[in-house]
Amino acid sequence: MTPAEYRLLDVGAAKLAVASPIESFHDHLGCVYPHHEPIGGAPFADARLSLLPGSRFRLRGRQVVLWADSLRPFEPYPYNCALPLFEWGSNFLLSRRLNAYLLLHAGVVARNDRALLLPAAPGSGKTTLTCALHLAGWRFLSDEFGVVDMESGELLPMVRPAPLKNRSIDVIGRRPGAVLGPLFPKTRKGDVSHFVPDRESFLARHRRAIPTLVIFPRFQAGAALHCTPVPRAQAAMRIGLNSFNYQALGPLSFQATVALARRTQAYELVFGDLDEAIAHIETLFDGTP
Amino acid sequence: MSSTAVSDIELLLRGLREPLDIDEARWERLLRIARVSGLHARLAATNLDQARMTDVVRRHLLSSARIAAYRAQMARAELFHLTPLVDSAFPVIVLKGGAYLLQKRTLAHGRFVSDVDLLVPKAHLRTMENRLRTAGWQPEKLNPYDERYYRDWSHETPPMRFPGHSLEVDLHHAITPVTGSLAFDPASLIERSETIPGTPFRALCAEDQVLHACVHCFHDGELDLRIREVVDIDGLLRTYAEREDFWQRLIARAAELELQRPLWYGLHFAQTWLQSPVTPDIFKSLATPPLLNRVAMKALVPLAMLPSNPDFPPPLRVRVARMLMQARYHLLRMPLHLLAPHLIRKTLRRLKAQLDRRAEAPANDGAP
Repeated sequence: MTPAEYRLLDVGAAKLAVASPIESFHDHLGCVYPHHEPIGGAPFADARLSLLPGSRFRLRGRQVVLWADSLRPFEPYPYNCALPLFEWGSNFLLSRRLNAYLLLHAGVVARNDRALLLPAAPGSGKTTLTCALHLAGWRFLSDEFGVVDMESGELLPMVRPAPLKNRSIDVIGRRPGAVLGPLFPKTRKGDVSHFVPDRESFLARHRRAIPTLVIFPRFQAGAALHCTPVPRAQAAMRIGLNSFNYQALGPLSFQATVALARRTQAYELVFGDLDEAIAHIETLFDGTP
Repeated sequence: MSSTAVSDIELLLRGLREPLDIDEARWERLLRIARVSGLHARLAATNLDQARMTDVVRRHLLSSARIAAYRAQMARAELFHLTPLVDSAFPVIVLKGGAYLLQKRTLAHGRFVSDVDLLVPKAHLRTMENRLRTAGWQPEKLNPYDERYYRDWSHETPPMRFPGHSLEVDLHHAITPVTGSLAFDPASLIERSETIPGTPFRALCAEDQVLHACVHCFHDGELDLRIREVVDIDGLLRTYAEREDFWQRLIARAAELELQRPLWYGLHFAQTWLQSPVTPDIFKSLATPPLLNRVAMKALVPLAMLPSNPDFPPPLRVRVARMLMQARYHLLRMPLHLLAPHLIRKTLRRLKAQLDRRAEAPANDGAP
């Protein structure tokens, strides 16, 4: 067997290695990771995986299979959806392995290395708001993982393309400066297209940020902007709820979320209009010590 | 398996017992094969505070150690919740991981506990099951066929879970399938069991723990990547080896229960892979499996149990070995006249489920 040729992606808090003979996958990967240059040597990868074509003779269309460490942890995707499978699958693997950190389910953007955290459940408009804030000039740290170093309380970037779904593809795509990857219609999560963070954010992927403001966003079509402060104790609990590993880390994560709530101000923000939400967040942020 | 994969495995087995001094790239390969074998937290237990390593390697070992500690905590919590259900009417024996944990054995460090296994006398199985149900544990929803399979042909009841708890409770009345060739009356297991100080539970005696680990490893389930079961056997042997007359009692007990063959395999692979302290005269006093079985097991077990090269899907010979070992398991578990209809039925149901799934929209996996 010839050794697999891995392509390495350093996304900040983690390194990924991926091998695949599927050419279109590499083209797509190039589209959504345009700033990555080949990394030499054999650096440590936090997740190493292969995307291999399934059987040519499958009646209902060829598939692509994700292999990680000689196992097949997920169901295959349609052949042309290798990129969404890679993004989703590698995020899942990372969420299981990075328990050295507290992993929040949150978008993270920053200004002058002061971070805004957007912890939220799926479907609350977190990714859309994160991308829109980034297009409004904020540094992009992550749309999915709020990676907290529990010793310092700082946030580590995980600069990966943000998967926009269905209507948000158009909402973000229309905005000036938006760079989107190829459209994958009708995946398991609907239409998906990946938003590409800018070069500055990519270059700053090892620069940590200090948590400053926490916004629990909730998009509601047609709703008027409604913003309410969240008391610290409640904020700590809600941050814990929006975490991948809060339960598993026990007292460590409890202390870390309490510390995070103590050093930040927290609000709940219901919004129907993105620009209005951004303007309000910026006012809040500027007023936060 | 490429030559580097073989030496990765040797390194993994060594790393379970002593700190390693290897570079980052080697650590990555080791972590990958350890993870698929469920041994990464064991690796952390011996290496985290001992070996020199880079920060990223330390973070991965720390990550696995934390998850193992969490799972152990959940297992202790489950056993704590079960405590009020145990009284003096009949003994309740904790098997395997739960017992190692309560007995504070070294082999429990970094060992992932997946469920809580309890053994009760068959006459009291219903009582214990009812106690669990009354206290809020709920059995997994099963169709009537699977329910009957468990009741008539298995040595355990369908798994039960308390809503919101992460671990399942498996209630056993024997440690071997009742329809298999190894079936024996478990009464003496219970008679010889020992108290676990500070708890109302009991544990199998040392010899029976070893025999159960061997039976579980080689006669109760598929072997795919289950090298951790041999690591358990090794851990038990090292725990008990120095006890007076341990080996004589183990050999005598294996003969009494007619479990010499699983014990032979257990000792053989534990010694081959992990240098367990098994002396040649121990093997001499144990009935050796027939030559053909020995040759087949020595050829197939490593392929099935050990991780293959992590860069590639398992090669054909590994897949064939795993399939053969699975066929062996089914044949050991049930005589052919029961097995054939059972497997046909299962296969048809799987095909039907596939067809049903095709009719619906593909399900969301519910992961991030």
